[in-house]
Amino acid sequence: MSAVVGRGIALPAVHADAAERRTMLAFLVWGFSALLIGAAIGPLQALNYGGIDAYPYLHPVLQTYYQGLTVHGVLNGYIFTFFITCGLLVYLPARELGLSPNMALWRLCLGTMAVGTLMLLYAMFDNSSSVLWTFYPPLKGSAFFYLGLTLVVVGSLLPLPIVLDLRARWKALRPGALTPLVTYMSAATMLMWLLAAIGAGIELVVQLDPWALGLTDTVDPMIGRTLFWWTGHPIVYFWLMPAYVSWYALLPKQAGGKLVSDPMARLTFALLLVFSLPVGSHHQYDDPGISPIWKGILAALTLSVALPSLITAFTLGLSLEYAGRLRGGRGWIGWFTALPWRNASVAAQVLAMLTFIFGGAGGIVNGSWQLDNLVHNTTWIPGHFHITVGTATAMTFMGVAFWMLPHLTGRAPFSPRLALASVWLWFVGMSVFALGMHWSGLHGVPRRAWVSYLPHSVYERVYGAAHLPLLLVAAGGVILWLATIAFYIVFAGSLFGRRLATPVAIPFAQAFGGKESYAIDDTEPAGVVADPHLSPLAKLLDHLGVLTLFTACVTLAAYIPIFWPFITHMTAAQGWKVW
Amino acid sequence: MSDSAAPPGFEEAFHQAAERHERVWVFIAIVLLSLLMAGTLFFVVLDYGVVVQTDGYRADPASVATTPPFADAALVRTGPNAYAVHMLAHLWTWTPSPLHVPQGAAITFYVTSSDVLHGFEVQGTTINVTAVPGIVGSVTYTFAHPGTYYIICNEFCGIEHQAMIGRIIVDPARPA
Repeated sequence: MSAVVGRGIALPAVHADAAERRTMLAFLVWGFSALLIGAAIGPLQALNYGGIDAYPYLHPVLQTYYQGLTVHGVLNGYIFTFFITCGLLVYLPARELGLSPNMALWRLCLGTMAVGTLMLLYAMFDNSSSVLWTFYPPLKGSAFFYLGLTLVVVGSLLPLPIVLDLRARWKALRPGALTPLVTYMSAATMLMWLLAAIGAGIELVVQLDPWALGLTDTVDPMIGRTLFWWTGHPIVYFWLMPAYVSWYALLPKQAGGKLVSDPMARLTFALLLVFSLPVGSHHQYDDPGISPIWKGILAALTLSVALPSLITAFTLGLSLEYAGRLRGGRGWIGWFTALPWRNASVAAQVLAMLTFIFGGAGGIVNGSWQLDNLVHNTTWIPGHFHITVGTATAMTFMGVAFWMLPHLTGRAPFSPRLALASVWLWFVGMSVFALGMHWSGLHGVPRRAWVSYLPHSVYERVYGAAHLPLLLVAAGGVILWLATIAFYIVFAGSLFGRRLATPVAIPFAQAFGGKESYAIDDTEPAGVVADPHLSPLAKLLDHLGVLTLFTACVTLAAYIPIFWPFITHMTAAQGWKVW
Repeated sequence: MSDSAAPPGFEEAFHQAAERHERVWVFIAIVLLSLLMAGTLFFVVLDYGVVVQTDGYRADPASVATTPPFADAALVRTGPNAYAVHMLAHLWTWTPSPLHVPQGAAITFYVTSSDVLHGFEVQGTTINVTAVPGIVGSVTYTFAHPGTYYIICNEFCGIEHQAMIGRIIVDPARPA
């Protein structure tokens, strides 16, 4: 069992050096600054659905609802999530393995995304690119928008070589050892994202960048849209999988227990890698040009993506139950109430998981072709993704920030009570908002429409039946404003708190059934213990290269027949700037 | 690592129960998803106005506005109780609108756009077709009830997107 310990290998430093902490902190600050702007604008869109048009009062900062919505979607969906993820998926594996990451690459990642973000902000705030976060051609924004986004996408891929390098260095010292869990999950996520980013990458570099620069005159809208959803579906797993990393590998420890199944965590990530990629065109059930046969196959594959999430629900629920029972919880729900609810980081993540149950159920509706027809592009859809990425991911990242800021800065967290309040406000606000959005979607209220700008009589005639749900949407938005204010007071206060006497450790959890997951904190050396009885499943899944290659083949097999008619019937559409 | 102060044997017993329940759970999940799949395809095979077919491609999307069949389109009879209409989406109107259709007849909508993407959603029905410049999609639907239905553009198309609302008026069938 200790075969690899005694080879005279110097134990790597357990503490991250100051440069690593500073860089991780920079990722957090960039990401949460983006969310601050995005979340500040969000409730304006909620008020819009309640019939209240706030935009006339926002000149000259924001001209229109659609400009505000573009800023909201791009900053929250891309910038916030990418910065946090590209930080966490390097920092956590490096700390798990006790190795130093390639700092030059990691800083290049930060710098590239930062420059891209500034370009996007310029293009969005001058109202030259109010094309929303989906930027479907032939709507035509400014070159700054597309080039900025290109830089953000390129930057977001740089953690992949960093994680693979960490894993290779660690494995070189320990032949036959299984990749530690956090590193495995991080590598699987980044490999998934590599394949996913190819779609939007091609759309940007081949279609939109040259078009926006004036090198080409026309664009094919359907090819652009299909390439977008190649990325646009798996991007939801790029939002979600980093949250899963925290739920599987950190939260059980924070709650006072253990992860009940390490192999199931690996299986989940492997299945997400495979299933999330070939199914992007299920966002196009209502598009012409794609054969109904393929749509049927996509529906089947899409429902398969629910399997890893259902496994996750079981494994994480059980891990929390174990923690709750250790804390003295009894009976059917006693374990749940016995969880450390006063810890804002735990509360944020458990509430995020609860919300995600409804998010997953709604996702099955969207993925079921015939039900999707009723809700496609109605407010149901943003209702859905505000309780997935907008709550499951965002609240998990907020929960991570609550322990990570003190860990990185060595400063005391600001007002744990206000932190707890921000978490509950976000949960309640988003629940009310999402209930209203789902419900009004069933009345056919379209997503992302400036309905408050309509003459009141038209608004009442067409959407009057959805009056109550639309009021809930607006009310949820107002509660979310309070949540945002509370959270950012805590965030900013934690950056400038008093110095702590003892450092805050990363809460790596241990797993049942041997030491397949590695627990590193201040008192234990980095993961140097080879597992005596490797799970055969975990061993099999450690071949990430083979899994990636298989996924790439399946993805190509799914997309070649979808693209074929579009490539053989090209459309030359001119650009439109109509906002 | 001071937590996890489990009583002796507790972790072992918990782990064994977990492995047993895990298998049951995965089995239930797979059965559930298979049933959902079968249900989805059942409804789609019967169509109900859900399935979007492809009617053709146009290299120059702007030209459809001025050439038949989309120019000056109207409801045409195609069978004993079947009608068709070519519906053009363009900034920021639906043509033809308002459109009168008979109750209880199979109506085929051929939908395209001459400029940017639009979304052809008929409120209160399963009709939901992306209007793509360069591609004509079609869907067939039977209105069971008379009344006014709103065509709502549900794909962002610019500053007047919210006002791109058309009307379909379903006229009551004459009593037989």
